[in-house]
Amino acid sequence: MVKPLQRKLRRDIGRHKPQFIAITITIFLGVAIFGAAWDSYSNLVASYDQTAVDYRFANLTIVGGDTEAIADAARAEPDVESVETRTTVDVAFRIEDTKLLGRAVGIPPGDQPAVNRLDVSAGFYPANGDTAVVLVEDHMANHFDLVPGDSFDILIAEAWQEVSVGGVALSPEYIWPARDRQDIITTPDNFGVAFVSESLAEQITGTAPNEVVLYYTDGEANEELTTRLSSAARDLGATNVYTREEQPSNNALTEDVKGLEEMAVFFPMMFLAAAGLAAYVMISRLVHAQRPHIGTFLANGFTRRQVLRHYLGYGMLPGLVGSIPGALVGVLLARTITRLYTSILSIPLTVVDFYPATLIGAIAFGVIASLLAALAPALVASRILPAEAMRGETPSGGGRRSLVERLIPPLRRIPTAWRMTLRGVGRNPRRTIYTIIGVVLSLMLVLVSWGMIDTVRNLMDRQFIEIQREDATVFFAGPTATEDVAALVDIDGVAAAEPALTLPVALSANGEHYETALMVLPDDTTLHRFADVGGGWIDLPARGVVLGQATRGLFGIEVGDAVAMTLSEGMTVSAEVAAFVDEPLGTMAYVGRSYAETLAGTALPATSALVAYEEGVDAKALRNTVTALPQVAAFEDANVLYDLMQRFMVLFYAFVGVMLVFGGAMAFALIFNSMSVNIAERTREVATLLAVGTERRSISRYITAENMLVAAMGIPLGLIAGYFAASAAMSSFNSDLFTFRLHIQPTTYLLASLAILAVALISQVPGLRAIRRISIPKIVKERSA
Amino acid sequence: MTIEMAGVWKTFGEGHTAVHALRNVDLKGPQGELAVILGPSGSGKTTLLNLVGAIDNATEGRIEVGGIDLSTLDVDGQVKYRRENVGFVFQFFNLIPTLTALENVELVADLTADNGAARAEAVLAKVGLADRMHHFPAQLSGGEQQRVAIARALVKQPPILLCDEPTGELDFETGRMILKLLQDISREQDQTVLLVTHNAAIGAMGDRVLKLRSGEIVDDSRNTSPIDAGALTW
Repeated sequence: MVKPLQRKLRRDIGRHKPQFIAITITIFLGVAIFGAAWDSYSNLVASYDQTAVDYRFANLTIVGGDTEAIADAARAEPDVESVETRTTVDVAFRIEDTKLLGRAVGIPPGDQPAVNRLDVSAGFYPANGDTAVVLVEDHMANHFDLVPGDSFDILIAEAWQEVSVGGVALSPEYIWPARDRQDIITTPDNFGVAFVSESLAEQITGTAPNEVVLYYTDGEANEELTTRLSSAARDLGATNVYTREEQPSNNALTEDVKGLEEMAVFFPMMFLAAAGLAAYVMISRLVHAQRPHIGTFLANGFTRRQVLRHYLGYGMLPGLVGSIPGALVGVLLARTITRLYTSILSIPLTVVDFYPATLIGAIAFGVIASLLAALAPALVASRILPAEAMRGETPSGGGRRSLVERLIPPLRRIPTAWRMTLRGVGRNPRRTIYTIIGVVLSLMLVLVSWGMIDTVRNLMDRQFIEIQREDATVFFAGPTATEDVAALVDIDGVAAAEPALTLPVALSANGEHYETALMVLPDDTTLHRFADVGGGWIDLPARGVVLGQATRGLFGIEVGDAVAMTLSEGMTVSAEVAAFVDEPLGTMAYVGRSYAETLAGTALPATSALVAYEEGVDAKALRNTVTALPQVAAFEDANVLYDLMQRFMVLFYAFVGVMLVFGGAMAFALIFNSMSVNIAERTREVATLLAVGTERRSISRYITAENMLVAAMGIPLGLIAGYFAASAAMSSFNSDLFTFRLHIQPTTYLLASLAILAVALISQVPGLRAIRRISIPKIVKERSA
Repeated sequence: MTIEMAGVWKTFGEGHTAVHALRNVDLKGPQGELAVILGPSGSGKTTLLNLVGAIDNATEGRIEVGGIDLSTLDVDGQVKYRRENVGFVFQFFNLIPTLTALENVELVADLTADNGAARAEAVLAKVGLADRMHHFPAQLSGGEQQRVAIARALVKQPPILLCDEPTGELDFETGRMILKLLQDISREQDQTVLLVTHNAAIGAMGDRVLKLRSGEIVDDSRNTSPIDAGALTW
């Protein structure tokens, strides 16, 4: 009794092959994305974890203060496995003609450091006594083609000193080459790292080690220990304390990987929901059409459970056929993605594991989604009363005037055929709703992806064009008088130059600490604008400090409250919060020069200058002129940074392109099924219209119009839902370093809507072709057409 | 409008699975008559009707209706022919459920001329549905639905009305009422009506009775005094 049912199942699916293929492909895509994204996420987390262990990546980094005393306190802790002091200093490098503000990190001579070990990929680790031999960090080596044996200059005590490249190294601290937490995006022309002998680093700073790095037992996180050591370090004058999670490079990478984790949940959810809806529409139609058969089954002794199981099979089969290869492809794809990702980012270790739970989970998700879709129609089938079912077909929708006709009475006078189209929309409300949901889901998928591009582009424009209005930042080799900065305007091509003083600062209020940079700008600065959190622009206040808005929530403070500012020199001053600013990148602190000098009680120098170009200037020539000045240590062209970020966007475009294709496929699968069922359900009407002399193209037009109307109904809802989904997706990336405020261009809404409508139009083609194949004599004579 | 069939074959399938629905059928007339086509299930009645209505093509032979050779018509030609010459009444009514009675008729009226609504109203009144024309099919009885279907077939004033088991889904009283309506239309408008049924009793109302068996016309007779459909019994 079971085998014939299985045969029926197979043949039914065979008769509706295109529809079931569409469902299967959607499940396949959803499961494959889940497998690929989840395993990539797991692999990358494992790669980072393994890298952290193998390279003894510091659990805690303490900057400033009495480093020896801090190190001693840490050594007294039994859960601290290794303690190391070192000197880290930002210093000018000169590599051929390029000057850049690089970083020298002290390493012990002769042997790897106990914490933050290096992966020497070329050359050798400097031996004892090789004070002039350095290791160059991978990114800088690649950009400047530095190989062992090459040399470059480091500015030490206002004189260039040549060092020799002993090797090229990868460091867990600079996998993503971030200068600090507030300066995550750098270009190789303005930032590079060299690992120098500790004695050379100390020679550059002229002081004892300024950092303590700690590695806990087995590298395991220990929150209690971190809190205790951080507190002790601050008591001993530390100005900056950060954990492995907060370490700039690691933090940036973690944010990036988090995107994969979210993708592993959001996108598959959309696809499986779409597949579920498509399956529901299809199986409901089957059950409806097979009512007499179901009645016959039941009348002949089949149990309701057998009927239930039979119709669940229509969900189970595409679920299994889509999920199993989907999961396998996803898991295999994850290996490629992981390797690609780790090779692009030069992550020293790549862990590619097989996670059986992902495979099983992915298959389970796909099958469960399609089984859930089949459950409702299968239950309906199992509850059918045999006598009623065998009485014949049930009417496929009663008639009544459409809502729009009732609301707009003149519509009752439009041609009858178009009235039929209008009423067709409400004929099967459930199917109409599911089609609308399909359109909504597709638009959500498209808008979330596309919204990311628009938002990031807007973020960059806001940060680099509206807020940071300088074309370049000139870094000086040492403290420079503001008058000397003003002299930069005399250089051809420089329209304006403003002195800036940037200092590391630890902000404290209400027992909370936040390490950032304090920027001292001219009171009437025009090269940096301040975006008020309420919208609009404000001037730099004459008194008080302007803080990035993330501090507001962190400290629980408002405008007018006091905040303590501890500078690297160990000097702590209290300042009133004058305003909070809304800046997409970073959480900085700003004060006007007059106010800063009042607090300091002395005139302050500049460490850099913000420069605006004259129109049409040759930026490269200007850069060469400025960097040739002896007092200039580095030159950072904001436009280059902007262009670099634009290049990063190519990856985004690729991602969105894939998502658009997937969104289109999903929309196609759902709308195609819905439309096919719509056409199948009214075959007899179509045949009757054909029999009375209506042209096939007219019928196609009516049906197309009806389906497009349903799709169009989903558009506004989809745009609204897409907006909120995109907003939620973007805000999940928010941190003190990035403030993603959703910005979707009007053209994006328009293009996304047109794309979905185009997919809806294309998805009707198979159904409309079926109209051409309708056999009028066969259909008009059948009881259940 | 004359109907002429000569040597018409209709075969479904090929080779050893081929089924001959019509075998070498010759037929002439019946202009302005009500012809009842009788036969058991599978005898080829509906196929014959479909060929005359140009919703199916003959495998062999020639069919000419009002001088039009149906075998020469392409798809568009068939549409035009059906639109201008044929009205169909089906066993299962085949009304559009989302349109009212009036709109169902109007839909077809619009195909051939303007002012479809007025003509549709007039035809519905003629079939006795003046007070039900704004109802949807689901709100009408089976007999009323079939009367709407007849009105739909008549509204474009086709020379030929093709009725396929028009009483098959109706109870005796309602069925007889529909047959009376068809007979009246044929008589009053001198309309050619081909009425297919398996119910032999209905033959008594026809001006002409054709009997089919296994795809062949086995009897073609005239009723000199067809009885009034209202007096039919079975």
